Amino acid sequence: MEQFFQQLVNGLMLGSTYAVVALGFGLVFSVMRVVNLAHPEIFMVGAYVAFMVITGLNVNTQGLAVIGGVGLFLLVLLAGMAVTGMLGLLVERLVVRPTRGTYLLIPFIATAGVSIFLQNGAQRIFGPDPVRIPSIIPAHTFNLGGVRVTSMQVTTLLTALAIMIALRYYVRHTRWGRATRAVAEKPDVAAACGVNINLVSQLTVSIASLMAGAAGVTLGLLYTSAAPFMGLLFGLKSFVCMLVAGNRHIEAIMAVGLILGIVEALVTGYVSSNLRDAVAFGLLLVVLFFRPHGLFGSYEI
Amino acid sequence: MSVLLQVSGLEVTYGPVRAVHRLDLEVHTGEIRAILGANGAGKSSTIKAIMGLVKPRGGKVVFEGQETHRLPPHKVNRLGIAWVPEGRQIFSTLTVYENLLMGAFGERHGQEVQERLEELMQLFPILKQRREQLGGSLSGGEQQMLAVGRALMSRPRLLLMDEPSLGLAPKVVQFLFDLVRQIRDRGISILMAEQNARQALRVSDYAYLLEVGQIRGGGSAREMEASEEVRRVYLGG
Repeated sequence: MEQFFQQLVNGLMLGSTYAVVALGFGLVFSVMRVVNLAHPEIFMVGAYVAFMVITGLNVNTQGLAVIGGVGLFLLVLLAGMAVTGMLGLLVERLVVRPTRGTYLLIPFIATAGVSIFLQNGAQRIFGPDPVRIPSIIPAHTFNLGGVRVTSMQVTTLLTALAIMIALRYYVRHTRWGRATRAVAEKPDVAAACGVNINLVSQLTVSIASLMAGAAGVTLGLLYTSAAPFMGLLFGLKSFVCMLVAGNRHIEAIMAVGLILGIVEALVTGYVSSNLRDAVAFGLLLVVLFFRPHGLFGSYEI
Repeated sequence: MSVLLQVSGLEVTYGPVRAVHRLDLEVHTGEIRAILGANGAGKSSTIKAIMGLVKPRGGKVVFEGQETHRLPPHKVNRLGIAWVPEGRQIFSTLTVYENLLMGAFGERHGQEVQERLEELMQLFPILKQRREQLGGSLSGGEQQMLAVGRALMSRPRLLLMDEPSLGLAPKVVQFLFDLVRQIRDRGISILMAEQNARQALRVSDYAYLLEVGQIRGGGSAREMEASEEVRRVYLGG
């Protein structure tokens, strides 16, 4: 029973990060009708920013008190989000905006190009092997009734939750969030109501990108490494989450991300870790067979 | 009465298809003008070109002395033109309240927006009732009211209406056209594209006949109603 809860908790940590990346995918797709294939690489850039900031600051991370550790984490997180947010703006201006609204395939291919560019760039600059990211949160393992959780795992979960709550608030209760929902549904009508579509496009892609960046920072710190191709598998699974959940409700994407993390953890714990990656794709096949528009429905394309 | 909107030599093409050709029309302040024509005549294309949703191949659109045909739709809206699209097109995943707020998106002052909202709720009590309901759950007639209300939220000086009576029950159509007159009485000019010539002529001051993308004729509503040809083609004898 203890094993079950342990895996459940592990799965929640991982799942929350899948959810954050999947939300970024879903946001850009439902609002701009564009699949941003560079999204997982933006996630990867976040991890490398964490690497650069921490090694660049050359802080003696061993002697850090909790306050120092958390403060440093927030600094790294903000740096990661700032860089990836700006990267998102660049991608939007140069790649998404000129290609959106045409065939779905064109922005798909164009952003694939950006993805390859970023992967090769990372390889060239940092080398093909993973780089080690020193941990900055003082290591501490909490014991909650037999379930062991590390401080970095807690940080990962809290960051993901904070992001999801912030996103939901933005979408549901702010003027621009409302405009974003309107553009997702009927861009022409929204434009005629006074909404600057280009601005919404920029906002959406940069928000999605800084979310991916935050996920990259936390995952990089969690696994203490960054690698040029770390976005590939992670991104693919997050993409699957988006497809399975449908793009109508962001809560659906959050839920599916968490579920995927949990199921993967349970499979790893109870069956075999080799089957872990198969879970996501198996799930996709099953769901799309019965509900091609995703579990919770999608907007028409 | 001064000229509020002037369209000259409008050309709208979709690839090889010429939807609107050499179109001239005007709307004067305080007027209701109608564009009458069958399906596919080019009415929607004309309306969309004025709103900036479609870039015309040629010609000019001048609103209150300013050229607008090269402006994006959100700028056209900010200048004082609002659009009631064909088929209502309300935001079905937004509540009635949120739909109305979207109409006033260009207005940043919260107080001002709330005042307009109050006014509109008085004009459409049914919307007040359904405030928190999702737009998609409203009936056709209610959605049309919401679409009109949403457009009015931006306090436009010109309202563009694309086939407002389409798909609505006769009683609702009646109510709608009475509403259109009320809107005009509040100082808002209206350009309406309509297939329902009878109702449109009832409320309009002036009407244009559009066939295959070109204006075939125009005149005051009374002249149109009296014309043999119009009666035969548009009013069913």
